[in-house]
Amino acid sequence: MLFFELTVQGLVQGSIYALIAVGLTLVYGLLRVLHVAHAGLFTLGGYIGVIVTNATGSLLLATLTAMVTVGFLGIIIYRLCYHPILDKPPFVALIASIGLFIAMEEIFRLMFGPYGLSYDAPPLMETVSIAGMNLKYAEVVVMAGTATLIGGLAFLAEKTRLGAAWRATVTDPEMAGSFGIDIIRVRYLNFFIGSALAAAAGVLVALLNNLVEPTMGSVASYKALAIIVLGGLGDVRGTLIASLVLGIIESFGTIYLGAILDRDAIAFAFLILVLMVRPRGMFAKA
Amino acid sequence: MSKLKHSLGRVLAIALAGNLISAAASAETVKIGINVPMTGFAAADGMSALTGAKLAVKQANSAGGINGDKIELIIYDDQASPKESAPIAAKMTTQDKVSVGISGSYSGATRAAASVFQSNGTPYISAFAVHPGITQAGDYVFRTSFVGIVQGRAGAKLVGKTLGKKNAVVITLKNDFGKSLAAGFKEAASKFGVNIINEYEYSIKDRQFGPIVSKVKADKPDVIYASGYFFTAGPLVSQLRAAGISVPIIGQEGYDSEKFIKIAGKASEGVIITTSLDRDSSVPETRNFISAFKEMAGVSPDMVAASGHTAVKVAVAAMKIAGTTDHKAIRDAIANLKLKASTGNISFNSLGEVKKDVQVQVVRDGAWHHYSVISDPDLLAPPTK
Amino acid sequence: MEYQITLITIVSISVMAALSLNLITGFCGQISLGHAAFYGAGAYTSAMLTTTGIPFTASLVAAAGIAGFLGLIVGFASLRVRHDFLAITTMGVGFLFVGIIRQQDVLGGEMGIFGIPDPGFGKIGYMFFCLILAGITAAFSLYLKRTWMGYSFDAIADDEDTAKMIGIDVSRYKLAAFAMGTAIAGIAGGLYAHEVKYIGPDSFGFIESVTMLAIVVIGGIGSVPGVIVAAIALTMLPQWLQIIADYKLLLYGGLLFGFMRFSPGGLAALTRKLMSVRTANVEFEEVPGGRTPER
Repeated sequence: MLFFELTVQGLVQGSIYALIAVGLTLVYGLLRVLHVAHAGLFTLGGYIGVIVTNATGSLLLATLTAMVTVGFLGIIIYRLCYHPILDKPPFVALIASIGLFIAMEEIFRLMFGPYGLSYDAPPLMETVSIAGMNLKYAEVVVMAGTATLIGGLAFLAEKTRLGAAWRATVTDPEMAGSFGIDIIRVRYLNFFIGSALAAAAGVLVALLNNLVEPTMGSVASYKALAIIVLGGLGDVRGTLIASLVLGIIESFGTIYLGAILDRDAIAFAFLILVLMVRPRGMFAKA
Repeated sequence: MSKLKHSLGRVLAIALAGNLISAAASAETVKIGINVPMTGFAAADGMSALTGAKLAVKQANSAGGINGDKIELIIYDDQASPKESAPIAAKMTTQDKVSVGISGSYSGATRAAASVFQSNGTPYISAFAVHPGITQAGDYVFRTSFVGIVQGRAGAKLVGKTLGKKNAVVITLKNDFGKSLAAGFKEAASKFGVNIINEYEYSIKDRQFGPIVSKVKADKPDVIYASGYFFTAGPLVSQLRAAGISVPIIGQEGYDSEKFIKIAGKASEGVIITTSLDRDSSVPETRNFISAFKEMAGVSPDMVAASGHTAVKVAVAAMKIAGTTDHKAIRDAIANLKLKASTGNISFNSLGEVKKDVQVQVVRDGAWHHYSVISDPDLLAPPTK
Repeated sequence: MEYQITLITIVSISVMAALSLNLITGFCGQISLGHAAFYGAGAYTSAMLTTTGIPFTASLVAAAGIAGFLGLIVGFASLRVRHDFLAITTMGVGFLFVGIIRQQDVLGGEMGIFGIPDPGFGKIGYMFFCLILAGITAAFSLYLKRTWMGYSFDAIADDEDTAKMIGIDVSRYKLAAFAMGTAIAGIAGGLYAHEVKYIGPDSFGFIESVTMLAIVVIGGIGSVPGVIVAAIALTMLPQWLQIIADYKLLLYGGLLFGFMRFSPGGLAALTRKLMSVRTANVEFEEVPGGRTPER
């Protein structure tokens, strides 16, 4: 029973990781940029989610607003920040992104205060009993939501023309360009989708915790980096699996290894172990 | 090479100019210095402590200041980092020449600053940082809040004697605050017939406690002693209740904030904490503080704000008694002080630790209310070295 | 005066730490996001030794040894992974270090180590001690640049595969860079511990590592004078900006971003550009570790 519960909780946490990490790996796959500021978009999604829900009472509207707004903000960030420095060495984008993330956290603090925001009437708090385990509706929604969104993403990528253009651009931008695909538009789409997913994650986390704080993205900022490396940089399916696996590892690890290592250390110990055996990630085509 | 010298020279010139500007003369005021985290992860508590301190200064000034002189609060942001607080402490003591220093910051930063205050013979009062080493820095350092161990012991008495529970699970926040509380609880547990089934730890960054919740559910305790701050305790309590765990949850002053109730919602009903602020108190100092704070800040005060307020109040009272800005006199005045503040009757032991009763509050009908008081001088005696 | 003395001491320590990272990142092109771990390892080693009575200078040697040894281990790991993977692996090392320290009560655990004894040089004496060590580090860095090792470091930083092809023993140099950089960081850590006289796991986390990297990058990766100026400026910045304390971090983030966006070569490149404008020469801006798109 405990085993089952720990696994389910790992999946819930892993789902959140997945929503954030997939966006990050999308950006990396296309541009080779470690988009740390992605975590700031996650936080913003959470804030918008809470503010709009408190104002309108509709969680659904809030989620859509968050995803669309943050999606567009992602495009703006690409245009203003990454586009001009793509030809520079990789650390430039990394440090720029870190600087941007720090600035974003501070803006959230200055705008919304250091204490954070909560829902006036937290939705989805009721619990449901599944297989003997009590889960909040919110937790079920997290898992279902992630499956839906990622599933939708997969559908988009595999079954639509847009998706085909996208995949082509990731694989070989020059070739795709010579086929008439607008690379820039593809990048915009990439950032939009990735950022929207992060925003969704933010809304969901706000639901789970009933708290959004300016620094809530800080763990995600580095944890997501570890996950996309585990999953194989740029590999969406690998990242998804790595997210869920890490969620479960942390879930069991905090209970059984908690005396020796804390949660982050467990995650990174796992990462280092994997990298020593498979330097290009768990699923790299060696 | 000359390029380097030129830029170095420019940098140093600006640095010195910056220092001169900040050392600019101020009028006949009594200076109290305070270091708080205004930016960074601890900004929430920093803001609370600072607001509490500002209120105390405002109140003192409108009551005539210190023997006629106005009080000036010199504020520094230390980002809760020892690296920042050490130079700030040096500045406060040697350049601003404050009469008293207050720490509204976390343990690491406070401990580093305390050494500097001690070696420069300037009194330093820690508002809420719990690290035992702070007062061990020397006889110029005082603390107006409970040492973790003491509060933990009070928790054990609350659980074992007042509530009569036998089997406890301890959930500990992994920092000096949580660990010292747990240490105190465990130390006194057997004295009150409390058996500790298991202990679990979590990091200050955690908000999802699923694994711990599941494990606790399997342990089937009849009470849970959990340490944390409002932003960890809120989610934790909410998740414990959602999982169907209905046994009493005992917290401490880290929970003591309206935000906790807001975050945990209905789950917060019935949560009991050991703290220093009694919302239902009929004591005028406490009532005045709560209403004045609400008026000034627009929100209800939390424990940290009350601590900041008390620390400044202690400083002001001591300076009034000392009648001079001589540091030694002020230090002696603090050491011998007996003061009524919002957080209790304040007096200090030989190490500079505060001696006061523990207030126990409970969440009822969505607000903090009086539950009981733990007044046990032997149990609550803070360490003397 | 004491305030200025404290500042100068802390700045010297920062300079030393930044230069030590510059050795690894700047000279050898290996991005390390976990440098604070070695700084911390040195701090803890030194503090634990002096609190049991071992003399200060001996503890610094031990600090260098332990930090350098750990650096060597991580260096071996760096041989297996590259670029972005390396950055994240080193980040992981940083978290692992803090995570382990937190849990070991013998290392102070959450309480950290406090009451670290005074080295006995007096405030001014200690300041000069730190200044001298920082100066030695700077001189060493400059000297290194002119040696064969330095040229090899440059080659590796520029293009590792080509360097291997022309016969440079890349592995050996990478390890050397890691060991030297981390050993120096260890000494800097020991100096820090005895200045602030309290260390805890929170002082050596990811944020600290990022700060160190930011200093190196803003100074101009590989540039010794650039990194020195950046270290001084960025360490002093929080103190100067006390007036706008609430906006301090915002400014800091903006600064990082702004530099990368508009002058990725850091202060060094900026200065070079300004000088070249004056002498009307066309300067070719070189930044080590140029991007090669991986397919």
